[in-house]
Amino acid sequence: MSQYDISELERLIDGELPWARVQEIMKDAKDADRFEKWVAILQARVPWKEPILLPLTTALFIVRKGRQRIVKCRCGHEFGDYRVNWKLAALIHVRETEGQLAEVYRGTEQPDPTWIQIREYTCPGCGTQLEVEAVPRGCPPDFELLPDLDTFYRAWLGRPLPDAVACEDKTLEAMRRWRIEPR
Amino acid sequence: MSPKQPKQALPRRKTKTGAKPKARKAAQRGTAGRAPARESLRAQLERNDRLLRETGYLFGLEEMQRKQEDPGTYEAVWQILLNICNTAHAVGCRVSSSPIAAEGGDALWSLHLPTGEAVCTSRGIVSHPGLLSLLLRSYIEAGYEDDPGIRAGDIYENNDPHFGGIHSADFQTTVPIFWNGRLIAWAGSVTHVMDAGFVLPGSIGFMNPDCFSDGVPVVAERVGENDHFYPWYEKRMRSRTRVPDWTMGDARGRLAGCLTIRDRVLALVEKYGLDFFADVTREYIEDSRRYAISRVRTQAVPGRIRKSNFKDLAMAGKRVLLPVQNVDCLFNLPLEITIDVDAKVGISLQGASGWVPFGQNITPDALVSGMLNAYSHIVGFDMFNWGAAAAWSLVEPPAGSWANPYPVNYFASSGVAWAPAVVWMSSLYEAFGRLYWARGFVEEVAAGAATTMTAEFSGTNQYGLYTAGLTLEQACNGGPARGIADGETSAWCIYTPNADFGNAEVTELYYPVLYLGRNVEPDSGGYGKFRGGLGHTAVWLVMNTPGIEYQCGCAGIRSKLCGNHGMFGAYPTWPDRPAYASGTNLKELVAARQPLLHERGDPEHPNIARNLQADVIEPNLIAPFVTPEPLHEWDVIVHPVSGSQALGDPLEREPEFVQQDLDDGWGQERVAADVYGVVAKFDEGERRWSVDVAATAQKRAAIREERKQRGVPFREWWQAERERILAKENMADAVLAMWRSSMELSPGYAAELRAFWKLPDDFTF
Repeated sequence: MSQYDISELERLIDGELPWARVQEIMKDAKDADRFEKWVAILQARVPWKEPILLPLTTALFIVRKGRQRIVKCRCGHEFGDYRVNWKLAALIHVRETEGQLAEVYRGTEQPDPTWIQIREYTCPGCGTQLEVEAVPRGCPPDFELLPDLDTFYRAWLGRPLPDAVACEDKTLEAMRRWRIEPR
Repeated sequence: MSPKQPKQALPRRKTKTGAKPKARKAAQRGTAGRAPARESLRAQLERNDRLLRETGYLFGLEEMQRKQEDPGTYEAVWQILLNICNTAHAVGCRVSSSPIAAEGGDALWSLHLPTGEAVCTSRGIVSHPGLLSLLLRSYIEAGYEDDPGIRAGDIYENNDPHFGGIHSADFQTTVPIFWNGRLIAWAGSVTHVMDAGFVLPGSIGFMNPDCFSDGVPVVAERVGENDHFYPWYEKRMRSRTRVPDWTMGDARGRLAGCLTIRDRVLALVEKYGLDFFADVTREYIEDSRRYAISRVRTQAVPGRIRKSNFKDLAMAGKRVLLPVQNVDCLFNLPLEITIDVDAKVGISLQGASGWVPFGQNITPDALVSGMLNAYSHIVGFDMFNWGAAAAWSLVEPPAGSWANPYPVNYFASSGVAWAPAVVWMSSLYEAFGRLYWARGFVEEVAAGAATTMTAEFSGTNQYGLYTAGLTLEQACNGGPARGIADGETSAWCIYTPNADFGNAEVTELYYPVLYLGRNVEPDSGGYGKFRGGLGHTAVWLVMNTPGIEYQCGCAGIRSKLCGNHGMFGAYPTWPDRPAYASGTNLKELVAARQPLLHERGDPEHPNIARNLQADVIEPNLIAPFVTPEPLHEWDVIVHPVSGSQALGDPLEREPEFVQQDLDDGWGQERVAADVYGVVAKFDEGERRWSVDVAATAQKRAAIREERKQRGVPFREWWQAERERILAKENMADAVLAMWRSSMELSPGYAAELRAFWKLPDDFTF
């Protein structure tokens, strides 16, 4: 089983390893302690102390805050319970006219705005573009990854998390309080 | 010539001591995978299914005795089998002579168990081993062992999606391998023929309205014996395909490769013994299953992954065959993956939209094989065979959807069934990319895939002969962005690990066209911290023909849409937009030594419209289509081949990477400034770009602030968007039709959609 020095993993993550070395890492048997080192590297790079439970994207993490598990941006902005699609707590900008699309896609590169809209999800804290969706009107936002954290930590990593919770999508439950306001 | 038949099997080599008693016992009672002699194929099949169900291991192989006893020989024989299959690929492609096989290697040869499961495969199109596995299984389930019987020297073939094919351009040939009168394996092959006898010329039958237009049928039948095709088989190909020399060349290539496998496997059995061969081939399959499971367990995370995706097929107002085809279609291609505590992967397409009156419907069996293809790239690529298919399960797609049309429309066409499937498969890349990222295996992350837009020509070629066939341009896309680097440019293909667009000079020998350009297309890999590998654009000048048709085909394109692949904040690749011009002044431009047309150019002012004068100029076409009139000498085609998807916020792209793309001509100045937020200027003296680092940081900070200012809280947008949905505001008919069929075919999906937008229970689009 391979094992890599944490400094080499940092160089891998930062795209600084020579390609030949990256290929060796790709071809070798995977290192069993990667996740622990990965989390340690990322934890050292964020300005907050809540323990990272799972990195979700380049900017978002599931962290433990007290007895809660929440989604948090690297800047510190918090999005709430990880079982609720974090997009509900983001800023959104939608491109759905030719003019709006033209800021990104022009001429022969422009999609048809009657078929599709470009949704940009932004962190209210730091302005990072967290996700972009290209979907037709009517499509609910993708809840890309809902991890079963307790199964992961208990059965796969062998170190159960305290305060186990049911792995269920709570998005619709969170929206139950949303009232439809007359326009 | 009869197949080589050894008079008797050599005695089994002595079993080494040291095997665990449990494994020995299992072997003795016949549950260690190997079938008892004289057991019928159907009984073997039932036993295999029962053992998997009862033990969780393929063939009941709780322990892999041969691997444990002698891992060196185990690995060595695997390499021998790989070599056998790859030798078959080399032999078959050379015998074939068809451009697709000979120049592009779009073919595959494989070795299978008597019950069908693929053991080992050649290079080539890795979507086919699954289909061949299921096809062989279907022969057994249909009782072929008794009627008509399976004999040494038989050639069985199929291209009918109703019976295990994917689309009729892919011919599946299988040859049984007998040892001492006993069926011990099958050799299989698939090649993509140049013309399948569709209603229109070629092999990308997107326009086929129903299965009756899907070309020459070979319906799970015996097409030869004693290693020879029946004479009537060749007659059928000659009367029902347009380029029969290539079609028969492919048939002979498939057969030659299969016979290569058969002869070499028999030699291998002679050396190692039949029992060893029977044991080890089953262990390879179980090993592959374990590899796929273990890769998920060690590199992914249990839970649920969802990815929506869509594909357009805009045909209203175009040249179509039947009035019912005068319609725009949008496909809903949803993906939901669940990974349980045992790392078993479940895949669902709930919400898939309805079948279409075009050749873009696929059967669940073919979809399983497609998933095996995707798995071979991203999950189970070590010891690739049928085993990975047992590591996951596919929930039966909605009956009547594009992914399962026959329960509702048995006449649905599958002329190019891959089209929606490869676009859907792209989501598997992104989904697993997200899982690998979460676990820290950043070097394995791949953003979504490129699209597949084909070019076919039909008409009189430069030799005065009729021709019809496919170029290989689409077999070489840019690759997906990685978690740590850009994707590779013009070096990747979703349906084969062996991306190869063939040589331009050879393509010019096959078709009456000359390449004016084959250039990397700037910014064609999406916009992100890491961009996808770039695609390229072929520019063809029609020459030496009285007239040919250009069929810009859909084997998985998006022309109205971008794919839903903004991974981690990147923008997706732009739509596929080909162009052509007829009645041009190119001849005059050549004579005057004026600039011609070598690339697409500025998307707002394409070169085809800037550089040429012509009777007809179509600079921004919605694909797919067939040219309304034949093209003639000095007409020109601009055919882009897409790059793959990007990853990460574009503002986090290293400015020096943006500069490098500008210097290479692989990026546009506007995109560098507006999308990447890079302040750069071109130094006329140095002939290169330079980045103002401080100004770039300032500009990027301003863009981030602007995002926060223009962004609205999701809930606020949701309120307004809900009203627009109720009013069906700015929604094309194709979008409305797609939602209607998705909701009708998948009530659970409909209920969730209505609940999200708080729509009335009876709401439909």
